[in-house]
This record gives sequence, structure tokens and C-alpha cells, in this order.
Amino acid sequence: MASDRKVRVLVAKPGLDGHDRGARVIAYGLRDAGFEVIYTGLRQSPEQIAREAIQEDVDAVGLSILSGAHLALTAKVLELLRDQGAQDIPVLVGGLIPERDKDALRKLGVAGVFTAGTPIREVAEFIASRVEAA
Amino acid sequence: MQRTRDEIERAEEAWRREVVEPRVERFKIPECPIRFYTPASAGDFDFLEKVGFPGQYPFTAGNHAFEAWRAYAEAGAKLGVRPDYGASSAGRYSGYGTAEDYRDYLRAMQARGSRGGPNVAFDLVTQCGFDSDSPNALGEVGRVGVAIDSYRDFRVIYEAFTGERDIDKVASNFTINAPCAVILAMLAALAEERGIPLAKLRGTPQNDILKEFIARGTYIYPPRESMRLFRDTLVFCRRHLPGMNVNSIGGYHIREAGATRVQDLAFSMANGIAYLQEGVDAGLPIDDFAPKFTFNAFGGSMQVYHEIAFQRAARRMWARIVKERFGASDPHAMMVRQPAGAHIGCTSTTLQRPLNNIARSVIGGMACGMSGGMPAAYPPFDEPLGLGHSQESIQLQLDATRIMIYEAGISDVADPWAGSYFMESLTDEIEGAAQQELARIEGMGGAVGAIENGYMPRAVAQSAYERQKRVEAQEDLVVGVNCFTGENELELSLNRASEELYDPEHLRSAEERQRAKLALLKRERSEAAVSHSLRALERDAKDSDANVMPAIVECVKSEATLQEICDVLRGVFGEAEPVKL
Repeated sequence: MASDRKVRVLVAKPGLDGHDRGARVIAYGLRDAGFEVIYTGLRQSPEQIAREAIQEDVDAVGLSILSGAHLALTAKVLELLRDQGAQDIPVLVGGLIPERDKDALRKLGVAGVFTAGTPIREVAEFIASRVEAA
Repeated sequence: MQRTRDEIERAEEAWRREVVEPRVERFKIPECPIRFYTPASAGDFDFLEKVGFPGQYPFTAGNHAFEAWRAYAEAGAKLGVRPDYGASSAGRYSGYGTAEDYRDYLRAMQARGSRGGPNVAFDLVTQCGFDSDSPNALGEVGRVGVAIDSYRDFRVIYEAFTGERDIDKVASNFTINAPCAVILAMLAALAEERGIPLAKLRGTPQNDILKEFIARGTYIYPPRESMRLFRDTLVFCRRHLPGMNVNSIGGYHIREAGATRVQDLAFSMANGIAYLQEGVDAGLPIDDFAPKFTFNAFGGSMQVYHEIAFQRAARRMWARIVKERFGASDPHAMMVRQPAGAHIGCTSTTLQRPLNNIARSVIGGMACGMSGGMPAAYPPFDEPLGLGHSQESIQLQLDATRIMIYEAGISDVADPWAGSYFMESLTDEIEGAAQQELARIEGMGGAVGAIENGYMPRAVAQSAYERQKRVEAQEDLVVGVNCFTGENELELSLNRASEELYDPEHLRSAEERQRAKLALLKRERSEAAVSHSLRALERDAKDSDANVMPAIVECVKSEATLQEICDVLRGVFGEAEPVKL
């Protein structure tokens, strides 16, 4: 891709979970790392997230979920992106994800799962490498 | 012989020159890495004004001469009665699946000896004022708590509380904020159905909507309209449910969301002041309603000296606000009534090498005991591993608490740090900084203004980011996270054999079962009665002088759903906008 455009990332809080510390910290961190970050705010439906990802032409979507609803919500977002031909946008999941669910998320098509203690730099490098590879 | 302050300061100067500086030079470091405190550090220390006695104004040294649980601690140990976290008649915080799932869980816990009332965790669908059949409910039904769609669900939970455990004999705790009025109305309806006078009900609803806008996020209506609902629940409780607490104010959530210690204290006080003012504006005498305010907890961290000072500062600050600003005279009105004391935060626990969290929570438990609470080792070590604690971790937590009480004698002295030059100066420092921050918030129109302009939520998010940067830069060191992470370090973990307190199959099928019940309800109830009660609610909601509670009780009894009730209020009050970056 052309390098004159900043990498655009949508940081989204799907579902009803209001714990947005992680989402906000990642949003600030990616912005400081030179990304263009769009933060959805709380309580976005999978439909709203998929629509915004496509309309804003983002390079990656980060979902932050701490309520235990990660499997259902992530599956829905991925399905909606696929339905609209946007399956090439990598989707990352962060939050409170039990070890046993990490593989399940990857099988759904999630590009990467990041839990507590991950340095922001690691997330930024991951996104950058995925965007370069695309 | 009493030395003068001047003498001490001169001696300190000489000590720095002759002892400290040569040592700093010898180790070739830029400055002395530790501090030492003297009588000069504590300023003009007036013991009676700043500390006083435990159980007396300004309550710096504690709310009581000794806490209720301490009275029978030794006798209880000999009888095998556990001093449980919270130590009240409230049961352990729990809730999952459908009302039937949760009722059965409660009965199973009772069979194992649980004695308390329901301490209900609601699912996010309920907390956000939706029904289980809402499109917003996807994946969330029964997940972080029990699903309540209507009075029928509420009544089912209480099938576990009859006879010796009837609702006039146990306390009911509800972690609910935006739809608190609906849940209180359900409790009132249940009491009426059972023929129990409302005056005999006991318990605590969280009912702290302001912190939902700053952290946690389960708000529905805009802040001002939310405060109208708070006022109505407050007045209703004082008139009809005098035994119920009114709210449980949480600084804990604000700190966990990233706030600094000073922000935690200042924002909690600002929120508390806003709630007090609602009562005063509604014409209630401060000494009547302030004693029914409670605090969930303030936040915590691994800096335990600071957390002990923080608790002392919080007690003194609240007492002075309630007495001096609001003119209270009843000492009960001035106390920070909370189930805990200092503690580490849940955010202090690490996913990496989770057994280390036992060490962390014991340090927090020591601080709790030294700050006036039961020395509870909180949270259980598996907190960061996912929702729900294993029975092993809960047992370890309880035993750690017992060891601190019975073997270490942590709770044998009230405010053991009172008079420490260090602790008194730290307490003053934290209180002073919080007062400055509080003044800033009051300049924005108080808590509601500082939420409407986005100041408090943004300040918390910024602080969270600053902390993350400090951790990544190794300015704040976290063992197993950003230091001591080499390949020779073992990943210690413990089997969690009995972690499934909640049946996973129930969790998976809760949404489907809850929707089926809702469909049945809508077929069976009288639609005419529902629309009649909802119209009456709309009328009262539009009249800002009216109290919506009686109308909500009627809605609940007509079997209107929680979302239908909340939707009427959404129509009148509007909805809150989520805060952007």
C-alpha cells in the first residue's frame, strides 16, 4: 500500500461491556505510535462496527471485550465483514480472554488475541506487519 | 525532654550532610533512594483535630472503637464460623444465567452453609435497561450476572429466600445503577405480595449512577435526568423503606478504570456531594438520610503505605464535608460506611504467573487491617484469569485473611499508624491534593458538570494511559510483567479443579431460555394493564416534581418488562451520549 497514508485502526467496544480502560489505552497508544485511530465509544453493535470499519476504510479493527461475550460478538463482526466483502481487514481481539478461547477466536478468523500485560508496541508492530503484508 | 522543631530541623540538616550524602556518593547514585520522616515532616500536628479516637469525629482512626466482626472473631474461630469478606448479613456477590439457574445456585450454596441474603450481580443486558430479546443482548444474557426481564424473574430468585431467610430477615444487595428504581420497585412489590411491611426490608442497592459515566459505563439516561431518578429512589427509600441503605458509592470502579489515587478520592467526594445535595434539595434533613449512604470501596494499589493514608484521608474528608458543609450532627451521617478498607486493586493482579497474586493480595490485606477494615486478602489470585473465581482461590483468600487475623494479630490495634510522622504527613498530602482537585470539579458545576463536559471520564482514561507508559518504560516495575521475565523464570500456576461454580451449559443456553420465558410472559399478561401502567409512568416522569417510584411499582406489578419501563423513561429523559476519546 502507499506509504503516504497513515495506518487507520478502528478500536471498538462491542456489546454492553463498559470496561473501556484497555480500549482507551490502546487507542491513545496507537495514536502516539503514528496510527490514525478511530474509537467507537461504548456499546456498539456488530453492525455498527462493521459499517464503520468499511465506511472509514480502516486497515485493522481492534475489538475490546471483557464481559465473556467475546465468542458471539467476534463471530458476528467477522461474519458481517465477510458478507460485505471486507474479510481482508484483520480483526484483533483484546480483553479478558480465557486461554481456552484464544484458539476458538483464531479459528473464527481473528488475526491476533492480546490480553492484559501486552505492551502497546507489540500490538502496533503486529498491526503494521499485517498491513504491510496486505 | 521535649526538643523544639528548630533543633530537629538543624539535626536533620547535619544528618543529611554527614551521613546521607557520603553514602549516596559512595554508591555513585544521583540521590538518596529512600526517605526518612521526622516531627518536622508532619507539620503542626494536632492529634485531636487530625486523628481523634476511633469511633469519633473526624473518624481518621476508624468508624468504631472496634468493628462488629472483631467482637466475636476469636469465639467464631473456635466454633468454625468464618469471618467472611464483608462480614455482614449479605451473601457473596453472585449471579448468572436465568433466574431459575441463579435460584438453584443459591440453594446449593445454602446447602453448603451460606447464610446471607442475595447479593445480586445482574447481566449487562439488565444493567443497561434491555430485555433478553433485544438485539443489544447478543451474547450477554446471563453472562456477568443473572438476567432479569420482569417481576417474574425477580420473584423466582427469591424462591430461595423464604422462612428463616425471608426478605425481612436477610439483606438484599443489588449491583444495579441505571435501572435501580425498577429493581427497588420489584423488591417493594415482592414484600407486598408476601405481606411483609416495607419498613422491615434491609439491604443496599448500588444506585451510584455518576461513577458509571466516569468508569464502568452502564448508564442509560443523561447525567441530570439520572440524578432525578436517584432523587426519587432516595426519597422513596426514606419514606417507605427506612431500613434500606440508599446507595453504595464507588471510587473503586473509578480507580480500576485508571484514575490516580487523588482522582479517586476527589471524584468520589464530588459524586457523594452531588447525591447529598439531591437529598437536601428534596427537603430531607441531612441527619435523616446521610446515615443511609454507603461506600462500595475506594480504589486500591500496591503502594500500600499510600493506600492506608488514603483511607484515613477519605474518612476525614467525608466527615468534614458532611458535618461542616451540610451541617450534620449525627455521627453516623459522617462515616464512610464501607465493607472494606485499603486493598490492592484488581488491576494490581497479573495474568502472568498468577500465583504471585496471592503475595499481592496478602500485602493488600495487611494494609486493609491497618486501615480499619477486616484484613481481607482481596482479590482471589485467579482474578485476571477470567470471570468467576475458583473454589481453591476463594479458600486461599479466606485462609489468608484468617492467618492475618488470628496468627499475625493485624486487627488487634486500631489505626496502628496514627501519629507516625510519615503516615500523618502522607495523609495530609493526599487529602490536600484531593481537596484541590475537588475544588476544580466544583468550578465546573460539581460532579454532573464535570461529567457533562467530559472532564472526569477523560482524566481517568489519560491517567490509565500514563500508567501504561510508565509500565512499558520500566518506570513502574511489575514482577513477572516488565521485570524478572527471563526464560529461567517458572510460570507457576495452580490447578483450578473446582472452578465451575456456574454450570457452563446453563450459561450457553440462558439466552434461549430467557427469550422463551419472555415470549410466554407477553402472551399471558394483560396488555391493557401494562399500557395503562406505562402511561401513568410517562405522565409522572414528565412532571419533574413527581416521584416516579409509585408508578414504577405499578408497572412492575402489571408485569411490564424492565426494558419497557426503561424505554418509557428513555422517551422522556433521552439517552446519554457515550464519551469519545
